[in-house]
Amino acid sequence: METVTLTIDGRAVTVQKGKTVLHAAIEAGISVPYYCYHPGLGVDGSCRVCIVRIEKMPKLQTSCSTTCADGMVVSTRAADVVDARASVLEFLLVNHPLDCPVCDKGGECPLQDFAYTFGPNESRMDFPRRVFDGEGVKADVDFGPTLMLNRNRCILCTRCVRFMKEVDGDAQIGIVDRGYGSEIATFQEEGVHSLISGNLMDVCPVGAITTRDYRFKSRPWDNPAVVDTICTLCSKGCNTSAWLKAKPEWAKASQLIRMTPRFNPAVNGYWMCDIGRFNYHWIEGETRVRRPMLRRADGLEKVSWHEAEPRLRDRIQAAGSADPSGVRFLASAHTDTESLFVLKQLVEGLLGPDGLSAVTVTWTRSEKRQPPGTTFTVPSTNAPNVNGARDLGYRIGRGNDGQPDDADLRGDVAAGKIHALYVIDPGPDGSLGDVSWILEARLNGTLPLLVVQTVALSELAAAADVVLPGAAYVEKDALYTNEQGLVQAVSQAIAPPGEALEDWEVLTRVAKSLGLALGHQQSRDVRRAIAAAMPDTPYADADKVAFARPVSARNWLQASNPSERWKWDFMFLDLPPVKGHSVQTEGTPMEGAFIPLKPV
Amino acid sequence: MAYEPVLVKHVAEPNAYTLDSYLKHQRGYEGLRKALTFTPNDIIEQVKASGLRGRGGAGFPTGLKWQFVLKDTPKPKYIACNADESEPGTFKDHVLMERNPHLLIEGCAIGCYAIGAKVAYIYIRGEFYHVQEILEAEIEKAYAAGYLGKNIFGSGFNCDVYVHRGAGAYEAGEETALIESLEGKRAQPRLKPPFPAVAGLYQCPTAVNNVETLCNVPPIVLNGPEWFTGLGPDKNGGPKLFCVSGHVKRPGVYEASMHTTLRQLIYDEQYAGGMLDGRTFKAIIPGGSSVPLLLEAHLDTPASFDDIQKAGSLLGSAGLIVLDDSVCMVWLAMNLLHFYRHESCGKCTPCREGGDWLYKLLQRVERGEGQEKDIDLLFGVANNILGKTLCAFGDAAATPVLTTLKLFRAEYEAHVREGRCTIPAEWRAKQPVFAHAH
Repeated sequence: METVTLTIDGRAVTVQKGKTVLHAAIEAGISVPYYCYHPGLGVDGSCRVCIVRIEKMPKLQTSCSTTCADGMVVSTRAADVVDARASVLEFLLVNHPLDCPVCDKGGECPLQDFAYTFGPNESRMDFPRRVFDGEGVKADVDFGPTLMLNRNRCILCTRCVRFMKEVDGDAQIGIVDRGYGSEIATFQEEGVHSLISGNLMDVCPVGAITTRDYRFKSRPWDNPAVVDTICTLCSKGCNTSAWLKAKPEWAKASQLIRMTPRFNPAVNGYWMCDIGRFNYHWIEGETRVRRPMLRRADGLEKVSWHEAEPRLRDRIQAAGSADPSGVRFLASAHTDTESLFVLKQLVEGLLGPDGLSAVTVTWTRSEKRQPPGTTFTVPSTNAPNVNGARDLGYRIGRGNDGQPDDADLRGDVAAGKIHALYVIDPGPDGSLGDVSWILEARLNGTLPLLVVQTVALSELAAAADVVLPGAAYVEKDALYTNEQGLVQAVSQAIAPPGEALEDWEVLTRVAKSLGLALGHQQSRDVRRAIAAAMPDTPYADADKVAFARPVSARNWLQASNPSERWKWDFMFLDLPPVKGHSVQTEGTPMEGAFIPLKPV
Repeated sequence: MAYEPVLVKHVAEPNAYTLDSYLKHQRGYEGLRKALTFTPNDIIEQVKASGLRGRGGAGFPTGLKWQFVLKDTPKPKYIACNADESEPGTFKDHVLMERNPHLLIEGCAIGCYAIGAKVAYIYIRGEFYHVQEILEAEIEKAYAAGYLGKNIFGSGFNCDVYVHRGAGAYEAGEETALIESLEGKRAQPRLKPPFPAVAGLYQCPTAVNNVETLCNVPPIVLNGPEWFTGLGPDKNGGPKLFCVSGHVKRPGVYEASMHTTLRQLIYDEQYAGGMLDGRTFKAIIPGGSSVPLLLEAHLDTPASFDDIQKAGSLLGSAGLIVLDDSVCMVWLAMNLLHFYRHESCGKCTPCREGGDWLYKLLQRVERGEGQEKDIDLLFGVANNILGKTLCAFGDAAATPVLTTLKLFRAEYEAHVREGRCTIPAEWRAKQPVFAHAH
């Protein structure tokens, strides 16, 4: 790697050649504010707040647009820089409504943070602020099916404009009018219609663009913990963070409060799609299965595991003893690698070395309509682990890029050859695709035993003889193999509800009740077995995978995205910045290079 | 020896704009014919030797600009002629395009030859609709006569000239904003570097030249650089158009050498002919609305780039706005800020927010509702815009406030003290003509 060394605030900083001064400062932990700059978008240089003094240059320079050169001497704390920065922040706030107490961004707002840190202590603006018309909450307007727009809060950084142009590939957002009257808009106020629209809330440095899903639901200080995890709603495997809301025991609302993308250049960059972002409500939803259920004369009855297990054992044993080939399994490709491995042990224990032929892996596919120029494609396969099933030796038809191969099973079920069908469906509802053929067989009486291990009381579960409560993807530590063949770790953010268990554990219990002692006490034991069984593969180190735990949001920001590091400098200070209290001059490692923002 | 006009000598004649007239009176297209016998580099050297400086406002040497245009590239190169003449008080390019269009067309062709371009775009101001019609018709005639198009004069040199009409934005006169607008985008400036000479129109090397600049090129090629330098002071050679407006007897465009002093341009009979109705001179904006004011004491300064700069202002686009003693300087600043606030493109923060803030403050002071602190605030806000914007617009918007505050602070204080405008001229429109809702 070719590097250049420059001096920032008296400190020698070495960075990769071609990086900007802003990037170098952020990497060195020197806080320089910025709004129009976003590491995932092109440089704009329009907000003017990242200006620094560079020796031998006549004017102050925007650090976001200045490439580092050897020997460059940069000051972010010289008196003229401090004044200039404060004046730009004053301009940004001249027309900003300062409705922070009711703004969703409040508490994690770069405008707030930087204005407190670098801005002037008070505004000299005494004219009425610029307002744009809107309905409901002041100036709020619909901004498409997923978003709301508040133009009053907008500081016209154009990150959203550039996101739509450069990442989405369909420049739906533009600026209309000019100068003082400039406003963010879409053609005829149609709003943003995009599969990746939720990222606009992330890129918006103020509360101008908010998602309908998250708005008014929580405040940053109510979300103390964050878990780094992976989205499993398609085969891409975007790296994400699951945000947990602290709530009293009696509160009914869910604890999982939002999903945000986490930077991984190899998989998803800075972004994630709206499916992964918004489709999490089922996890803590009304239809969630929390206890095992058994079919009685008058329908399904909630029971304990101790009641369910003997009944399940008896029925499966009866079916299997009569005709081993009449016992079949249908596993969703949403099933994690650990559970698929235990399932493999189970079927091989029950049916012999050829046991895997009794398992059909299924998933759904849907073409996502995206602009041709998009740089963030959402794959068609709506399941995260087709490649994991492939690596374990399951039959997966044409694989990740094709339809599942379930013709044999369908034929056998229709022909009445199947006496027991065990379905594993870790959600979300619908991820098995068409199940009408199973329901039909149940109605016809041609499928005598249906066991469904699931998370939601779906139509299929409602038709089952035995329902076993499994865990959704944010409720377990597990491995999934994405479309690139990358083995990624999903970390447990919340515990499975009620008596629900992680799917490997359900299968281990079922195996035990059928007389197969697999010996797994924890999911790590399963991974140890996987690693031992699959040396010289990406799974060889499965037992060494580290899983994330809920951490304070401050640590999350530190760990996840180097370019957003400014946040942990200011966002989660133990004491909030106070008027007249200059953060700039405190706790900094350099000597003499600092000039207080304003004398207190 | 009286100065012999070069650029606008014949413009008053009824058929001045025609190809016939151009060929007959101005040795039309002989410059191009001669240029094609030299190498492109020779042309650049001649223009450098002439010391021709950009007439758009910055006064940057044109030869250097052409030399900077990237040579070793497979990409096409372009001349973008800046005909978006929108600076208040400036109306010289208008005359050249309307009355002497072939001079510009020939200048474009020679410019293209010099930098290795095949295409020149004339980006014409949106409001110059009738000028565009003339220009396009004359371009057609130049094509028909073989002065444009393929294989000009049998030299193998091809050149096309297109006219592109803007949508009426002052900011489109900024060279990178002009390029953006030419590409069909919003007229907003780009970050520099890269400069247009490296990555301009469609990311290809581009020279952006003012109309008057290009019009000076054919005479330089025809008469030689020495002739050009001899016409003016050192480093300020050549003919220059001055747009004199304001409280003078005969406002208009006057061609003169840059030896000519401001006083001559205002008072001489051949130029503006003195103050209107015998009023008293108060101040002059010498280079379009974006430059600092000069006072009576500066009137003997030659109107050259360097001399005006030494006097503390800029020649800019040579739009001389003469102000008499009926002009309230607070009103003047407010009037200009009304323009700058309306024309700010809105891309960068200080200009977008600061321009409006200044305008509101000036309105308040002008109406007599201001306080002492508003005057300090005006100074503070204008200084906060200065030097922090993406393009030169921010500095231009701050200048009227800073220059009037520097030279006429007493008038601001009088407004505050007396609670009214102290110099309410009768000729002033009661409302800004283009009053906007916001």
